[in-house]
Amino acid sequence: MKIVFTPDWFLGHDVFINVFSFVILSLFFFFSIKNYKISKNKRLLYLGTGFLLIALAELSIILTKFAIYYDTTLTQSIGGLIITYEVVKSVDILYYLSFFFCRLFTLAGLYIIYKLPLKKLSGDFVLVIYFIIITSVMCHHFYYLYHITALILLSLIIRNYIKVYKKNKLVNTKIFIVAMSLLALSQIMFVLSKISSLYVTAQIVQLISYITFLILIIKITKNGKKKQNKHNL
Amino acid sequence: MERRNRINIIYDILRVIQTRGGEIKKTHIMYQANLSHNQMKLYLDELYEKKFIENSDSDKPLIKITKKGQDFFRQYAQVKEFEKTFGL
Repeated sequence: MKIVFTPDWFLGHDVFINVFSFVILSLFFFFSIKNYKISKNKRLLYLGTGFLLIALAELSIILTKFAIYYDTTLTQSIGGLIITYEVVKSVDILYYLSFFFCRLFTLAGLYIIYKLPLKKLSGDFVLVIYFIIITSVMCHHFYYLYHITALILLSLIIRNYIKVYKKNKLVNTKIFIVAMSLLALSQIMFVLSKISSLYVTAQIVQLISYITFLILIIKITKNGKKKQNKHNL
Repeated sequence: MERRNRINIIYDILRVIQTRGGEIKKTHIMYQANLSHNQMKLYLDELYEKKFIENSDSDKPLIKITKKGQDFFRQYAQVKEFEKTFGL
């Protein structure tokens, strides 16, 4: 049974992309919480929570991929049919649980980020969480459901931030929109990921997206310093 | 127009001082940060207490921003940049 769409030659490289994504998302979480402590703006706390959830999703994928790709004792210990069956069963459970939490956390995180620029944060949260859980469960049988749901949420986030950009005309917001658009593009590719070359392309697009997020972090940090220097003159 | 909260007013006062090269007269703060005399007095007391500002060494009655005040100003400028980026 093929449990991941990663072609053999790409095994390990995809883990690197996941680790990189995890670091960037953790940085966003760290900055949101640090800024919340200064300004006490609750929306910063929610933004941090959104990024933390997606970071946790990446972490669960990293741990599973490590267990599947690099657990050599697992393959060495296979001696008979019964052991093989048990090993396959345990890997299957690990795979199912971690991917379930990955999908659940990613969709919940994206939903929080989608809601943030809206004036009213209230909404049918219970209903939305219910649908996110249902989608995460169903994705085990129909993998593309997760990517389509993520794509819809990303499209809504992009739409909201285009409105924000029209108001503030900030280059930073534009960079955020570009990064989110790249993530949306990668989701379209993931839907068609049964074609191995497209899976790799989707992963690379995702990597470029997270590099764009890194540029955004650097720019925000630098701009803050620049503002101080400008006032010093 | 959005109502400024406490921390935004503190940021505006420090910004006004920074714009004037780090030293300024009290009256200039009042006009440039859009504050009444009483408001300004309250906020300046808080800034003295937090050691964000101090009296200048010069003969004129000027207020000077401290290193601590500059650090806070830099940090809050980053917070504002972050909030603006995400439309928060």
